[in-house]
Amino acid sequence: MAEKKKIYLDYNATTPTDERVVKEMLPYFTEKFGNSSSVTHTFGWDAEEGVELARDRISKLIGSKPKEIVFTSGATEAINTALLGFCRANKENGNHIITCKTEHTAVLDTCHQLEQEGFEVTYLPVDTSGNIDVEDLQRAITRNTILACIMHANNEIGTIHPLAKISRITQKAGIKLMTDATQSVGKIPFDVNKSGVDIAAFSSHKLYGPMGVGALYIKAGIQINPILFGGKQEKKIRPGTLNVPGIVGFGKACEICDLEMKDESSRLSRLIETIEDELFDIEGLTINGNQSLRLPHMTSISITDVDGTRLIRAMKNLALSQGSACSSNTTHPSHVLKALGHSDDLALASVRIALGRMTTRMEVIDAIKSIKRGISQLKTSNL
Amino acid sequence: MRELDLIIEAFEQARANEIECVLATVVHVEGSSYRKAGARMLVDEYGQMTGAISGGCLEGDALRKALHALHKNENKLVTYDTSDENDAVIGAQLGCNGVIQVLFEPIDIEKKLNPIAILKQIASSEKKLVITSLFNLDKSKPQLGTQLVFDEHSLKIGSISNELLINKLKQDAALVFNQQHDHFGEYTIELEAQHAFLEFYNPPPTIVLVGAGNDAQILAQMADQLGWNVVVTDGRPTHANAQRFVSSCQIVVSKPEHVLENIQLSERTVFVLISHNYQYDLAVLKLLLPISEIPYIGLLGPRKKFNRMLDDLSTEGIIPTEEQLSRVYAPIGLNLGAETPAEIGLSILAEIQMVLSDGSGIALRDKQGPIHDKANTNFKVTTL
Repeated sequence: MAEKKKIYLDYNATTPTDERVVKEMLPYFTEKFGNSSSVTHTFGWDAEEGVELARDRISKLIGSKPKEIVFTSGATEAINTALLGFCRANKENGNHIITCKTEHTAVLDTCHQLEQEGFEVTYLPVDTSGNIDVEDLQRAITRNTILACIMHANNEIGTIHPLAKISRITQKAGIKLMTDATQSVGKIPFDVNKSGVDIAAFSSHKLYGPMGVGALYIKAGIQINPILFGGKQEKKIRPGTLNVPGIVGFGKACEICDLEMKDESSRLSRLIETIEDELFDIEGLTINGNQSLRLPHMTSISITDVDGTRLIRAMKNLALSQGSACSSNTTHPSHVLKALGHSDDLALASVRIALGRMTTRMEVIDAIKSIKRGISQLKTSNL
Repeated sequence: MRELDLIIEAFEQARANEIECVLATVVHVEGSSYRKAGARMLVDEYGQMTGAISGGCLEGDALRKALHALHKNENKLVTYDTSDENDAVIGAQLGCNGVIQVLFEPIDIEKKLNPIAILKQIASSEKKLVITSLFNLDKSKPQLGTQLVFDEHSLKIGSISNELLINKLKQDAALVFNQQHDHFGEYTIELEAQHAFLEFYNPPPTIVLVGAGNDAQILAQMADQLGWNVVVTDGRPTHANAQRFVSSCQIVVSKPEHVLENIQLSERTVFVLISHNYQYDLAVLKLLLPISEIPYIGLLGPRKKFNRMLDDLSTEGIIPTEEQLSRVYAPIGLNLGAETPAEIGLSILAEIQMVLSDGSGIALRDKQGPIHDKANTNFKVTTL
């Protein structure tokens, strides 16, 4: 049997680098290879210019000032730096932080580390669609609370948290709001001022930039202790030689998102609608997440009485994920789906379909056929 | 000497030695900064700096940016955000709290209308002008630079291809003349933004020293330091001569009634009557009083002397109007406790500065609000 071309439906795990981004990056590997910290010659100045243009472009996308952006190696490092750095710098003001059960493990595991250091963490529950109750947040705030860390859009189910509403509460309480915006920046509008967040982390490779670069937005005036040491780069918050080509690509990717995000998301949301309409009739199928407020380019489905791992294997031509990419090389049920109230079996019988810039309508039609065929095969064999 | 003249002089020197230069211009400031838009600095390829774009906190980095622009032979816009004082790059400890846009322009002497050539033409002009620097806050776009000069009615120097933009800039330049202050424009042309700094250029004041005594010598030196034009007039060739005064002074030997014949008047021409000769001063005062264009007539000596002049004028049937008297400053000078000729010179020049710029002359610590009145520095957005 001839190998059919794989259809990539895992854009929440990573995205291909846009060719325009690659083109922008290439000179920074060869003729403009300088260290952006070299202040005595043009190689360094060229590199610095590239970095600063990227900083401008990224800040324009999220509505911040350029100087409020700190470059990191990715969202995980940005989250670690922000959570550990903020809590350590502000521990005189309190030792309590609030987060949510459906956060990415980059947040949850860092919170566990903070618990080791004597901080107390409240993990807010979510409803069956993945929404937190803002009243719960309000109630969780104590005199010792210094930070709430609530993700913008969930990576597995796409549910979007109402940051503007949440920030009204945190601002009133005098605590800071941090958000993991990895899945939302470049996909849906995210503006640090409109959303009222104080700290935000996101990543290049989720928005058609290269891997290995992330950004941390830190509102001017907020204190963060570094977690790495050894240089004056990035205002000492993130020392170490900058990944100049990566940063240049990240900047270009953000510029493209700024221009094309609106059209792209409406195109992808129509394709998602097609998928969900076509799969709607399948017995035992539920769509996870808040369907009125979620990422437009993705859907997460669970099917009763089907083994998700086998389902993914049955759909050989599709590249998609059973839960989140990070936890899927083990067969533990997703902590996000569990938090929605799914049983272990149902959580495992779930598939995430995430489309992106390069997804075509033809691919979507082929994918629908494969999914339908795969599910019916498994359901029949179960009988 | 004005910063502008110093920059031009430094450029000429560098050019004679075949040294390349970059002109740095503050083209926009949001918030507060030590130097406003229009501050300029010349950087040569060895890092020699003339003029200043800040109180010193930006110059170190600006030097590197200038050299980078020179290396690329390309205009470059750099943003300095001093609104967070912990900024390690800038290390601003001046309490600045602003976002400063600096335009770097390598000077190409092959180009007839390079920015310095344009500034040279402006510096020698006696007219009010609007200097226009085109830039783009999106740094991936070309930075067109200091290109155009407008007078009240038309484009005087330079050209760009976009007719629509030229016409709109001409309108905004007229606005600048009208309001006598700088303007910042953002012009959207087919969805692409173009920014412009329209700088109001006021030619330096002209100070006419009536009387060429020793005190006039010192006053001429001090006014020259301020970059003002200096005219010295006296009836005595032994006093009014080129040997006794700085080279830039215009010397006029004349009888009092002919004093004005050799002097070009403008609303920035001020007169200081220090001939120490009662009749000479009186004759000139008589000549100046009816000319409403002259904003300042200073008369050295006690109030008694001026009162006697008023009496003498009235016996001739001349009763000065209120408006005329309002332009006469007698006794001349601010109350600074000045004794020596240089101190008196300071008090006179300070008073003239106050009158020409409509200042109050009080100590700034007693002034309510900021040092400078808040000018509108927002970009006015126009879609073409």
